[in-house]
Amino acid sequence: MAEAPSTAGSSAAGGEPGVLRTLALAFAVCGVCAALLTASVVVLRPYQVANQKQEQERRIRALVERLPGMEELAASGALALELGVIELASGEPAPEVDPEPLQGGEIDPRDSDPLPPERDAAGIERRPRHAAVYRLRQDGRLHTVILPVSGRGYLSMMRGWLAVAGDGNTVRGITFTRHEETPGLGAEIENPDWQALWADKQIRDEAGTVRIRVVQEPAPEDAPEAAYEVAGISGATKTSEGVSALVRFWTGPDGFGPYLERLRREAAAGEAARPGGSE
Amino acid sequence: MKGDLRTLSRPLVDDNPITLQILGICSALAVTRRMDTALMMGLSVVAVTACSNLAISAIRRQIPRSIRLIVQITIIATLVTVVDQLLKAFAWEISKQLSIFVGLIITNCIVLGRGDGFAMGHGVRASFLDGLGNGLGYALVLGLVAAVRELLGSGSLLGVPVLTPVDAGGWYEPAALFLLPPSAFFLIGGLVWAVRSWKREQVEAPETRVAAEPAEAR
Amino acid sequence: MADLAELFVRSAFVENLALSLFLGMCFFLAISREIGTALGFGAAVVAVQVITVPLNQILVDAFLRKGSWAWAGMPQLDLSFLTLITTIGVIAASVQVLEMFVDRFFPALGRTLGIYLPLVTVNCAILAGSLFMVERKYTFGESLVYGAGSGFGWAFAICLLAGVRERLQYAEPPEGLRGLGLTFIVAGLVSLGFMGFAGIELR
Repeated sequence: MAEAPSTAGSSAAGGEPGVLRTLALAFAVCGVCAALLTASVVVLRPYQVANQKQEQERRIRALVERLPGMEELAASGALALELGVIELASGEPAPEVDPEPLQGGEIDPRDSDPLPPERDAAGIERRPRHAAVYRLRQDGRLHTVILPVSGRGYLSMMRGWLAVAGDGNTVRGITFTRHEETPGLGAEIENPDWQALWADKQIRDEAGTVRIRVVQEPAPEDAPEAAYEVAGISGATKTSEGVSALVRFWTGPDGFGPYLERLRREAAAGEAARPGGSE
Repeated sequence: MKGDLRTLSRPLVDDNPITLQILGICSALAVTRRMDTALMMGLSVVAVTACSNLAISAIRRQIPRSIRLIVQITIIATLVTVVDQLLKAFAWEISKQLSIFVGLIITNCIVLGRGDGFAMGHGVRASFLDGLGNGLGYALVLGLVAAVRELLGSGSLLGVPVLTPVDAGGWYEPAALFLLPPSAFFLIGGLVWAVRSWKREQVEAPETRVAAEPAEAR
Repeated sequence: MADLAELFVRSAFVENLALSLFLGMCFFLAISREIGTALGFGAAVVAVQVITVPLNQILVDAFLRKGSWAWAGMPQLDLSFLTLITTIGVIAASVQVLEMFVDRFFPALGRTLGIYLPLVTVNCAILAGSLFMVERKYTFGESLVYGAGSGFGWAFAICLLAGVRERLQYAEPPEGLRGLGLTFIVAGLVSLGFMGFAGIELR
């Protein structure tokens, strides 16, 4: 096994090389390895960056296509996709922040604040200060915003995207990109049939209270609460509760609440009609 | 040529690094949920083992004993990083699935074991082939386990549906156990059993024998 | 505080390095069939893990992250490709130092641990601990807890398996299963048992 480097002066009788020789070889190995590493990284980096960007765009476009009623619209090319960074607390755009580390929907621990447990229903532990948001515009008007969401499920941290219409209150759909829930049970959050249940659900009521939630037995379709309730996955109670907590957190005051509020105000004031108006 | 072929083929079954030499199992199991990740992992190990054996063998007379292990680890770590970068550049999706397990090739007992155990004492050509052979033996086991796990756990092979699962409108109810870690343990246990039933010389001698009669007092 | 406790439990049981992620099995399966040696190896792993994961966290955060060289006027510099080499280097160096420290101040302990301490350098579980820490971007405190938890969990699993293997000596399996084959199957059963820890929360 490795011993401490020999500090003896000259070669031992058995032919063991001295310090100088040892050092020389060590440096030579380091030099060759460093050159090889640097060369490969420099050459390969452009491919890697391109891969990341492509993957992100592909994901978002795939997400958009799966939203109920959006398939033809997405395929027609009438939707323009753009990426922006939002400051969560104010809901205002933050153009000075580098979108790259955030574009996959991750939370940067250095750009976040710890969340006390009573405000952390989704179990994410840290509240980011900024987040990347994808916007879809149709003819210049804000059609949909796509928000990164995450929360603790039954077995894993679930990550996904919540698509909200330009009015800031109607859900267009939800999708999960990363999770390790039980196959056949919690993993049904990936099932498009279940995801379709989210279309047209409302987040807040007229009073502005967050009403949207996942319940095991939702109210009948004609009941007023039905607009806010999504049926959970049978046999996957904990995962469903996790999804509910996750959506409520991210549409609430600690998440994108202020941003969605701004969108609603702008939509109501008709400013959304102006090209390039709302952000 | 014949000697080369033997060096190359021996580690496939007769001297398979996993089933006989008990090396390198760690990452073997975590990436075997799907065949594409398992095969990419196998390929990476083949590349690293062959190249590191080559490099170590080339400078084997120059390496002082005192820094032998560190030099080997440095070479291997460099090669693994290069492979990791290549994967990120050209096989992005799979590299995301493999996550840290490519990095773990550095501590994969096969790579280090052959580097120190074989390449330090043999010529460049033999070392390269030995690395290739051991890597392939590893890839073989990985591929087999992954094939079973993916087939029974998801109904597909390399992503191509073979047993159409119920969710896709088919008849097959996937056996979820095969998507979970313990199944890999069971499969390798079974594989070892099968190999040792075929090649009886690999069977381990019993360590202890239970005495049939009470031992005499000494 | 509760999150740290939960992190400890999670890294020790739910995401057990040995039984859920199969890391570090090589050495154990090849070397030890007794609880005594398992305990020795396990202790060495815990010690090294607690030292190296936080140490690596400091180094990676200070030098390798994109943006960590902003103070030198190079905010775009991203040296994260050096992660693998740095982490394994730190591990090798730490083990070396730990070995010298133990030999100097606790020679009896050094003799007991014997060759296990240097072997820890190439234990996949140790490297994995540091790599997961990098991937999940743990803070220093979390790294400390994660190091302790994952190390302890690994040691615990390995001792469990050693105990089972001691019992297996009384078994009479089919020849082909003797030794390695049976050990794997038993490990699979214990791993199945550990899956029962999923869903435990300490909130």
